[in-house]
Amino acid sequence: MESLDPRINRLKSKAEWDEEIQKSAMDQFETYEVFIQIRENRPYEHVGIMHAPNEEMALIFGKEQYSRRYTCTGIFVVRTDHVKITAFSENEENIYEHMDLNGIQDGGESFEIFHLKKRGKQHIHVGKVEAGDYEGALSVSANLYNIGTPVYNVWVVKTSDILSIPPEDKMIWDTLPEKKFRDAMAYKAGDKIKEFKERNQK
Amino acid sequence: MYGGGNVFETIKSVEIADEDPIKLYEFEERIDRGEKIEPRDWMPDLYRKQLIRMIEQHAHSEIIGALPEGTWITRAPGFRRKMALMAKVQDEVGHAQLLYSAAETLGKPREQMIIDLINGKSKYSNIFNYPAFTWADCSFISWLVDAGAIVNQLANAKGSYGPYCRALERICAEESFHLKYGHHCVIHLATGSPIQRKMMQEAVNRWWPPMMHFFGPADKISIHSETLMRWKVKMASNDAMRQQFLDMYVPKIWELGLTIPDPKMKKNEETGKWEYTEPDWEEFKRVINGDGPCNKERLAVRRIAEERGAWVRRALLNKKAEYVQPLA
Repeated sequence: MESLDPRINRLKSKAEWDEEIQKSAMDQFETYEVFIQIRENRPYEHVGIMHAPNEEMALIFGKEQYSRRYTCTGIFVVRTDHVKITAFSENEENIYEHMDLNGIQDGGESFEIFHLKKRGKQHIHVGKVEAGDYEGALSVSANLYNIGTPVYNVWVVKTSDILSIPPEDKMIWDTLPEKKFRDAMAYKAGDKIKEFKERNQK
Repeated sequence: MYGGGNVFETIKSVEIADEDPIKLYEFEERIDRGEKIEPRDWMPDLYRKQLIRMIEQHAHSEIIGALPEGTWITRAPGFRRKMALMAKVQDEVGHAQLLYSAAETLGKPREQMIIDLINGKSKYSNIFNYPAFTWADCSFISWLVDAGAIVNQLANAKGSYGPYCRALERICAEESFHLKYGHHCVIHLATGSPIQRKMMQEAVNRWWPPMMHFFGPADKISIHSETLMRWKVKMASNDAMRQQFLDMYVPKIWELGLTIPDPKMKKNEETGKWEYTEPDWEEFKRVINGDGPCNKERLAVRRIAEERGAWVRRALLNKKAEYVQPLA
């Protein structure tokens, strides 16, 4: 059968190879964790990952992937190996109660804290702390943010490792109102079916 | 979009017997309580392997599924259809990315999955090995193949693996536009001129057999498949999903004055089940194993894309970077 794909039938591209394809594990780069703010004044929430060669590209790809259909008001990206994670707690236990909180609390570095409070859901940003190292950041966080229902898992990220879109570029999130063709609502056809049935009954 | 129809290969039950019984018991308890399993949690080897295979096949199906529709973008009738189809194809590729990411959290790097796809070692939904000759074929895919995929995805979204469920939640939200758009395209043709009606009917005739294959052959009842159901990897039998699809969509097809090329197709009012001619499973096996009308060109197009983009990726590569498994 002749191909219907223009890359094959018009560009006459090669369609068969003798050797198998080879790729290195890093062919599509490192991974970045992406966080999205759905609306103003809402916390940033983890949404997934992106593969990218650097954080600027991760931000652009992340914006395309995670805000293409449903817009948002902010995005964070951070390289996966810059996220420090605690163990997961079991059942209804709070992970803060199972930590050795003896890191360096003094020191001028700023860290962002993310909590998992609903199993099966995403990590949510709870706030910023100042500390000397990652463990210290957890100790400060245990005093500041360990409130309410149990925290099952914590992620800690240095503020300086996060790339986000600055407030002065906020208009990047203003989407075009005429993109209605991407909404299910734009495809009502009940009248057409009704009219068709009436026509057939005559 | 995706079809079930994933054939769950039997992995020897010895593997389950090798697992730590206490950890296995706790794992099953968690699933029974409705808890989600996360990437760093303990899980049986069989669970990990089957999930990687399933999510990976799903991701490949999104990428390959974008090909028959993608080639119709330039020929779609009118600017409005072109824009909608472009947005839909873009969504499908986005879905593949979400799914590759979810599979990656289980320990298989994305590049390895892409290598396995291109080298023909990994499967994707069999229906995309068939050609879309006309705009009506493309409309059939947008409406009914997506509808089948949604039946499957809504079931899987209730599964036990956290990252897969989260990806599916996003995917299902986006699919609602695809389904409505596809239905709109089919209604337009089916209620149109005699030529349009004829074109639509011919597309239904061509696509019905692969559509019946879509959910895969009836599951073999085995300890293996029972285990996967208990672990909430497989959420419904292939037959149950096929029944659900027929129940939702056959009346909608008939309502448009179209016929289904199977004289036996009818709902048995007593049992509530749809009756049909048993699909040709020999054909299904033949095509899934590489001998379908489009298998070669689908993989060739992927390989061309890989090879043409390689120099850009090489130029951007940070040599010091090391692979790290993503978090969630």
